Amino acid sequence: MEATDKNAKPKIKMAVYWGSACGGCCVSVLDVHEKLFDVVAAADLVFWPIALDIKYKDVEAMADQEIDLTLYNGAVRNSENEHLAHLLRQKTKILVAYGSCAHMGGIPGLGNFHDRETIFERVYDTTESTVNPDKVRPQTETKMKEGILELPEFYNDVRSLDQVVDVDYYLPGCPPQTERLVEVFMAIVTGAELPPKGSVVGALEKSLCDECNRKKTDNKTIKEFHRPIDIQDDGETCFLEQGVICMGPATRGGCGARCIEGNAPCRGCYGPPADAPDPGAKMMSAIGTMIDSNEEEEILKIVDQIDDPAGTFYRFSLPGSIIRRKIL
Amino acid sequence: MEEKRIGVYVCWCGTNIAKMVDVEGVAEEVGKLPDVVVSKNYKYMCSDPGQELIIKDIKEHNLNRVVVSACSPRIHELTFRKALTNAGLNPYMFEMANIREQVSWVHTDRKEATKKAKSLVTAAVARVAWHEALDKRKVDINPASMIIGGGISGLSAALEIADAGKQVYLIEKEARLGGHIADVDLTFPYMVPAAQILGPKIKRAENHPNIEVFKEAVIEEIFGYVGNFNAEIKANGSESRSLEFGNIIVATGLKPFDPSSVDLHGYGKLPNVVTSIEFEKMLQSGKIETRDGKEPKNIAIIHCVGSRNNDYHEYCSRTCCMLGLKYANQIKTALPETHVYEIYADMRSFGKGCEELYDATAKRKVMFLNFDQREGIPQITKANPGDCCEMLIDMKERLSNTQIEVPADMVVLLVGMEAREDAKEVAHHVGVSKCGNDFFIERHPKLDPVATTTDGVYIVGSCQGPKDITDSVAQARAAVARVLAAICQESGEVEVTPAVVNEDICCGCQTCVNVCPYTAISYDEEKNVSVVNEVLCKGCGTCGSACPTGAIRSRHFTDHQILSQIKGLMRTEMQEV
Repeated sequence: MEATDKNAKPKIKMAVYWGSACGGCCVSVLDVHEKLFDVVAAADLVFWPIALDIKYKDVEAMADQEIDLTLYNGAVRNSENEHLAHLLRQKTKILVAYGSCAHMGGIPGLGNFHDRETIFERVYDTTESTVNPDKVRPQTETKMKEGILELPEFYNDVRSLDQVVDVDYYLPGCPPQTERLVEVFMAIVTGAELPPKGSVVGALEKSLCDECNRKKTDNKTIKEFHRPIDIQDDGETCFLEQGVICMGPATRGGCGARCIEGNAPCRGCYGPPADAPDPGAKMMSAIGTMIDSNEEEEILKIVDQIDDPAGTFYRFSLPGSIIRRKIL
Repeated sequence: MEEKRIGVYVCWCGTNIAKMVDVEGVAEEVGKLPDVVVSKNYKYMCSDPGQELIIKDIKEHNLNRVVVSACSPRIHELTFRKALTNAGLNPYMFEMANIREQVSWVHTDRKEATKKAKSLVTAAVARVAWHEALDKRKVDINPASMIIGGGISGLSAALEIADAGKQVYLIEKEARLGGHIADVDLTFPYMVPAAQILGPKIKRAENHPNIEVFKEAVIEEIFGYVGNFNAEIKANGSESRSLEFGNIIVATGLKPFDPSSVDLHGYGKLPNVVTSIEFEKMLQSGKIETRDGKEPKNIAIIHCVGSRNNDYHEYCSRTCCMLGLKYANQIKTALPETHVYEIYADMRSFGKGCEELYDATAKRKVMFLNFDQREGIPQITKANPGDCCEMLIDMKERLSNTQIEVPADMVVLLVGMEAREDAKEVAHHVGVSKCGNDFFIERHPKLDPVATTTDGVYIVGSCQGPKDITDSVAQARAAVARVLAAICQESGEVEVTPAVVNEDICCGCQTCVNVCPYTAISYDEEKNVSVVNEVLCKGCGTCGSACPTGAIRSRHFTDHQILSQIKGLMRTEMQEV
């Protein structure tokens, strides 16, 4: 068996951690299916809260740079996320921002359209199912007779991983395509030459349109915006040309256009191509040029048809974009 | 990547900047920024020793990028770019931070002004770090010229160019040439009939073998660049024509101020309150009479209507004072018994022969009454039936400091000049900027008064600001000198700023294809990328902002350059948060 082969390369130490995340990224690691055997043959998983019972103190006890590879998924929303980001950075040689949330803030990043107070108000006071007459709010410290109970501090801002610690690579996606993870992982374990620090890996240089098979023309003129459920999609024409907002042009390819294959427009989870630092702004500029009117009133009417524009254009990228958050 | 070595020069502009900005402090602070190798301050950077300082430093310190923090780049960007060229650097490795017009001239708090200057210089340093060397391209100059506007300015320019043997396309919006001068009787100060000045010019222009006149013409589109402009013109309702030419002279003129909005003057309500335009017509017809055909015994001429008044236009229309004096003389000659009142705010009789006309007018028993614009304008009301006159003008006479009533049977309002309503359209067609009053802006108010920031486009006459015939013709001929000089050189240099497509990033979404106003972008199906035709591209940048992938870059205005500049600008703010 390979594992007992004395000539085999020493296994690398690998960690997977979730910050402010949904769990999907961790599941995408499990999605390697039978390739998992290749992974465990080449790597020891030394920390992975979703799957293994290893405590934070065990990580704290490790030597600096002891972990070869950490996939940090999730955004940085609270003090616990931040503490682990710093801790894992210290213990890891190659830190990868794994998935949209670690990359640019992701879905939790939409929290930056609010602040801590308005989020707490909604969650602890005004949701239809909340009964909280004493207006109890989470506290970082609560004194009980047995001692002090602690909770992580909920921050005002959501941040991407690189806004907190130095990041070596970015592997985008919500979640990243498992095949891409395997490619990147194998590159690291086989000692292949790695791209320059700060690179986006497991994705293409070109944007999604390049791998999208739908028919595209220069006829991108929009009189009316539609939500996907409002149109009879012909399954072949570019979504934008049907008046449906598709983030494809402002989004890196590499996902295999799986949403498009499923007849859904791109939502932008792979983040912007290399030279477009703010995908939301880029896409809005592009959409602006497509609106087929020169009358201010008509333009306003057309723009009004875009459902949740901020959430649409910055769905995965708000904290990592130039605007970062809404000022309240 | 080569090491970035930036030199920063903060100009005092004598006391212009130094009195409000701590220039030494700015230079010291900016000197601490990354990649800044030298940071100096100097009294006049634009002077020869100032430029020499830059050239010496480039050589001594091996600088490869330069920032000058001084006045507006519109004034001296070219000066410093030339200095870089002289030192062997590419002129585009330069950025200017404007701390005069944007800082010292507009602020009153030295501390805040200094802080703002630091931010602007920091932004320029951040931007210049991303500058790339660019080349200029040599282009042939088409010897034909287009002149927009067939008034006295346009006509003068057209004839001069045509007489030099070059083709002129003269575009006139109206059905006749001549513009506003055609409605003028005599001209000041020498009382020469306008028809005598204008008539021969129109006749010559219409028959000149080198001038093609387009009347009732509409410009549908102008595109291209210096030496190589194209236009689609529709004249007399006929089919549109394509014209090719190398230079453009804009001579679109002015519009008289409409005094209906000045309630106190009663224009439009009192029948014998007329504008200077209407009065000229009366003079042309040879009959000065009231609406009911009577000879007016008292005529009042009110100055500064719509001019030098913050409620209307702040500026002086420059010709009305002389017009008023001309009227007084014409009235006194035609109706010696009629009393003439010049109701003026300030008498501005500058220019050759003008003060003399003022003096001569005063000797003709014309009454000069002065009012203070700040204390209100004269109010015109209908007189009572028993009064000796038709109207009464209520005003405070400044020199005697008394409230008086002036009798009048006719009131002439000296209406000011304003920019034409279609100024915006014209500006868009030819690519010139407008000032707050919608007059077109020259490249330099003193040193380059007829050129604009668009190469090959010149502005003459009242489209640039209120002007009399003398100044308009002088400007027209000045522009002609520039145009003929360009034609003589046969070729010129243009900035190479066409957009570039990064084929590694372009995904073929074709968003850019339709937005290009010059149809310079096409789609290459085989490569699945957009392609820019460098000859057609004018470098306007529309595609760059529309491109959702960042594949199209507008040279010298790349995202990196602009975003770095913004980050630099916010640097101090970010530290404070």
